[in-house]
Amino acid sequence: MNVISRGYLVPLLLGLPFLFVVNPISANVFVQCPGDIDGDAVIDTPDPNHPHAKCMHLSGGDGFITMADGKEMYIFGFADVTGLTPGEAMITALLSANMPSPAIVLNEGDEFYLTLTNVGMVLRPDLFDAHTIHWHGFPQAAPVFDGVPDASLAIKMGASFTYYYKVNDPGTFMYHCHVEATEHMQMGMLGNLYVKPAQNGTPFTYQGKTYTQFAYNDGDGSTGYDVDFAIQMGSFDPEFHDASEAVQPLPFAHMKDTYPMLNGRGYPDTIISTALPAPSKNGGKVSQKQSSLITANQGKRILLRLSNLNVTEFYTLASLGIPMQIVGKDAKLLRGPDGKNLYYQTNSVTLGSGESVDIIFDTQNVTPGQYFLYTTNLNYLSNNTEDFGGMMTEIVIN
Amino acid sequence: MQSNYVTQKLSMLFLIIGLGWAMNTLAAISGITGSSFNLTAKKDYISTPDGNSIPMWGYANGTGLMQYPGPTLIVNQGDTITIILKNELPQPVSIVFPGQTGVTATGGIAGLITREAAAVSAPVADRTVTYTFTATHAGTYLYHSGTRPELQIEMGLLGALIVRPTGFNASNPTAYNHPHTAYNYEYLFLLTEIDPNIHELVEFNQLNNVDNTAYFPAYWMLNGRAAPDTLLAENNQLLPHQPYNCLPRMHPGDKLLMRVIGGGRDLHPFHHHGNHALVIAKQGRLLESTPGAGPDLATSVFTIPSVPGETVDAIFEWNGADLGWDIYGHQPGDPLEAGEYAPDHGKPIPVILPEGQNLAFWWFLERQSIFRK
Repeated sequence: MNVISRGYLVPLLLGLPFLFVVNPISANVFVQCPGDIDGDAVIDTPDPNHPHAKCMHLSGGDGFITMADGKEMYIFGFADVTGLTPGEAMITALLSANMPSPAIVLNEGDEFYLTLTNVGMVLRPDLFDAHTIHWHGFPQAAPVFDGVPDASLAIKMGASFTYYYKVNDPGTFMYHCHVEATEHMQMGMLGNLYVKPAQNGTPFTYQGKTYTQFAYNDGDGSTGYDVDFAIQMGSFDPEFHDASEAVQPLPFAHMKDTYPMLNGRGYPDTIISTALPAPSKNGGKVSQKQSSLITANQGKRILLRLSNLNVTEFYTLASLGIPMQIVGKDAKLLRGPDGKNLYYQTNSVTLGSGESVDIIFDTQNVTPGQYFLYTTNLNYLSNNTEDFGGMMTEIVIN
Repeated sequence: MQSNYVTQKLSMLFLIIGLGWAMNTLAAISGITGSSFNLTAKKDYISTPDGNSIPMWGYANGTGLMQYPGPTLIVNQGDTITIILKNELPQPVSIVFPGQTGVTATGGIAGLITREAAAVSAPVADRTVTYTFTATHAGTYLYHSGTRPELQIEMGLLGALIVRPTGFNASNPTAYNHPHTAYNYEYLFLLTEIDPNIHELVEFNQLNNVDNTAYFPAYWMLNGRAAPDTLLAENNQLLPHQPYNCLPRMHPGDKLLMRVIGGGRDLHPFHHHGNHALVIAKQGRLLESTPGAGPDLATSVFTIPSVPGETVDAIFEWNGADLGWDIYGHQPGDPLEAGEYAPDHGKPIPVILPEGQNLAFWWFLERQSIFRK
């Protein structure tokens, strides 16, 4: 007959409550969205108290992408599970991280309810990392929704956190996970995020042409455009990713990115207009959905929302044949405090991680054809050891 | 019970923030003021948060301890500044003042860029050099060694120079002589990085083996400390050679002047959370279209690209305007806080926060830093 000695009984009893407190016994997917009745982050009956509500459900976890030289790279990332019931979302999101993470596109005036569900790392059951969403550059941010774990809250595996943003400011932002930011950002938890201005829909005539879409509330139509694209510069260090996949110590201070990318692809994958085929290692899930090919008809004005979100490098992106006009910087119309116009013409922009610019390409006098957008850091025109590729894409004028 | 747990943790968070605000009495950057300074170049060690200690060369204030970075020199525009540098290092050292003109150097020995204080082995008379210049422009500047700068700046021979504008009033301060450069608080952000291999080679007298083509920094510092030591108080006795901290504090509605200096070799995209900041000056020159216009060419950014050798002055403000909820957690009948955005007063937080068991807290960081005395 086994008897627990009194010597063990006291610590055991003291320890019992911790067992239950620490265990995520009631963890579940919990979407908060006004007017959504079935938890899929889709508004079923608009809530009259929240007429501008907009909802999205992202999962945070791991997955794979295919690099331009064919290597399948282990990543962390977000996936869009909006429209799925909580049960479906959890299953669908496993090993389905996207690169870049799903683009978040909003309108000024939206009330944005963004639910993040941490689905865990399928290939790394030893990890129990929390995740957050940091809206990089959000003006007048509240710490609780800023995603900095040291200053607020991060969500553990199997549970959801709903972020609330009153979207007051247009511009080109970006988002990423801020938990162990160096690791989770190198691993790929990065995405485009931009807000369209309230001026959209109001016609303004600028240089003889009338526009109804604008980069900012410019008051004169000078940021008007016909087509827009969002491209995020980034890069991966394969040794870091391989170490993560193989459960090895991570080379933080020795990080060296050798896969430069635009929207998660190296050239020539950048000019594929569709999603890339699914990698084999994630069970056949399409994980690279955003192209970085820019196309427009001659005469149209193109708005490029360009951001840089990598961990190690400043990158210069140059345009050959079509001048760039910079009209916005860091999600602000490029004007002085008194309204002085500070737009400028250039052929290249240099961005550190966490910077953005809004570029207008005017194709009025541009001969139809292919034009290149490429990094002038020429060593980054490569996909690791493959020597022609990397951070380059095309602007195709028809 | 679980929601109580969250409430309790949140209350603690707000208490910490509140205490931080209540304790904040420092409006100005710490440093040494006046027009005449005695600096001594000497060697000692700094501590890093991983437990390492790194041999450094640095400027000390007079006979004080070597410090990294060197003393922040705070002077007044128009004054004639005299800096007497004495050397206790095994090789000659000097100081150059980028952004200042008409610097004269006397004494010491001749050097390539400027006159130098001779090595500790040289006659005493040669080991002291005097620099004089007139601080003609207000602003934020860097000073550093002009002798073997590829080695000596890495070793720690650098510091910040702040020139207060003509007519500076400490109770109503401005960065430059224009009302649009007014601020309530100012903080220094001197960005540097360290390659510990170089420092080891210097300590073991292997100078000839220093290979700058293999430069690979492994520590990144703000005002001479790496996080979380940046959050410790100034003049902490555990960090005798790193007297400066970097813990900006302000009240909602205040203007916080960021003086950002790229003191190392690398570019750093320096991101401040919370809100945009208005970049009013670079390299100690106001971004103005005509003299006296004020910073009319200023732009708002959420990331400041810090460039080696460049200084940036930016004004940061935050009051949580139009969040759509009351960040203070007020009830509608509660009194307004100073600087509070009134239209959101009393509005509840619009979402349910997860239960405590589903949240990760980074309390260890606070335990290691803010509460460590």
